Amino acid sequence: MCDTCGCQLHEHHHHDAKVVEVNRSLLEANRKQADSNRHHIEHMGAVAINLISSPGSGKTTLLERTIEALKETVRIGVIEGDIETERDADRIRAKGVPAVQLTTGGACHLDAPMVHSGLHVLEHFAKDGLDLIFIENVGNLVCPATFDLGEHRRVVLLSTPEGSDKPAKYPATFRGADLVLITKTDLLPYFDFSVDEATRETRLLKPDQAILALSATTGDGFDAWLAYLRQLLPR
Amino acid sequence: MHELSLAQSLLDQLLDLAREHGASRITRVAVTIGPFSGVVRDSFAFGFDTLKGALEVTRDAVLDLETPDPLYLCLDCNRVSVIPFAASEWSPDPLAGGFYPKKCPWCCLTRLSPKGGTELTLNQVEME
Repeated sequence: MCDTCGCQLHEHHHHDAKVVEVNRSLLEANRKQADSNRHHIEHMGAVAINLISSPGSGKTTLLERTIEALKETVRIGVIEGDIETERDADRIRAKGVPAVQLTTGGACHLDAPMVHSGLHVLEHFAKDGLDLIFIENVGNLVCPATFDLGEHRRVVLLSTPEGSDKPAKYPATFRGADLVLITKTDLLPYFDFSVDEATRETRLLKPDQAILALSATTGDGFDAWLAYLRQLLPR
Repeated sequence: MHELSLAQSLLDQLLDLAREHGASRITRVAVTIGPFSGVVRDSFAFGFDTLKGALEVTRDAVLDLETPDPLYLCLDCNRVSVIPFAASEWSPDPLAGGFYPKKCPWCCLTRLSPKGGTELTLNQVEME
């Protein structure tokens, strides 16, 4: 620390030079856009959920079943993120709900500016308005953790075949979740997945972490997930 | 992760600051990388040094990087401790298996929860 002015810079800096206090995140640009996205979504009267997981954990299938269960009473829209293809957006559209596909071409995560453009397109296709917007992130358990998209809740999925050690191995992602969702519970008899271990490791990172377990295939545990979603909506 | 794009974001902020304050040269940049931010110190420093040369205003900027040690809350005795990464894990005895879980220095139990440490902050900038 400098003895002359008390700043963090090394002792031999020049005092004819100007030292400016900034105290801003390096991610300031993304944060600003994320906050703007959040306000935009609130202005639409909706709530947004960022779904994060490894590839193949069941994000899209979860959305398909969720849409089937809720679409009569909840206006749902989806922003899909993938490196290539429109396959996930097509699956969502087949359920009768507007979906926008963001293909990054190479980026391993969505960021707030991408979601901003997605929101404008989604609004255009959801003329009746929206209550619940899902943002399905690019399948990746590492990078999405860093980028606020403007969501109200961040849900991290962990599927049974992946193993219950993943929260310990990917702490930033699991620590940043508002809800950890263990998926494919119908496969528990066939894999070495310990729900106890996953719960323990998750709660070590964040003692009050909300955790649910379900199977989109059998419907086991699905009601608790739907209840979680319903309590986020106004009314 | 994405140290290069973070370094670019930093340089963008520096450009804006230089314009705002009418400076022609950025001389020093003080940044904090939190221990749980997921950003690798050396990769970030490398990225900064690689990209800064593209512009006159940032070409000679020196990066002062602060990487504070991680804080943990012990879920058993409720005390907060600093446990540096290097100190916690490796055993010198190869037969012992090489890895020991972190222990609370107060009660010796192992339920240590990471506390804070996710920041990536541009603190101060020196310019002329």
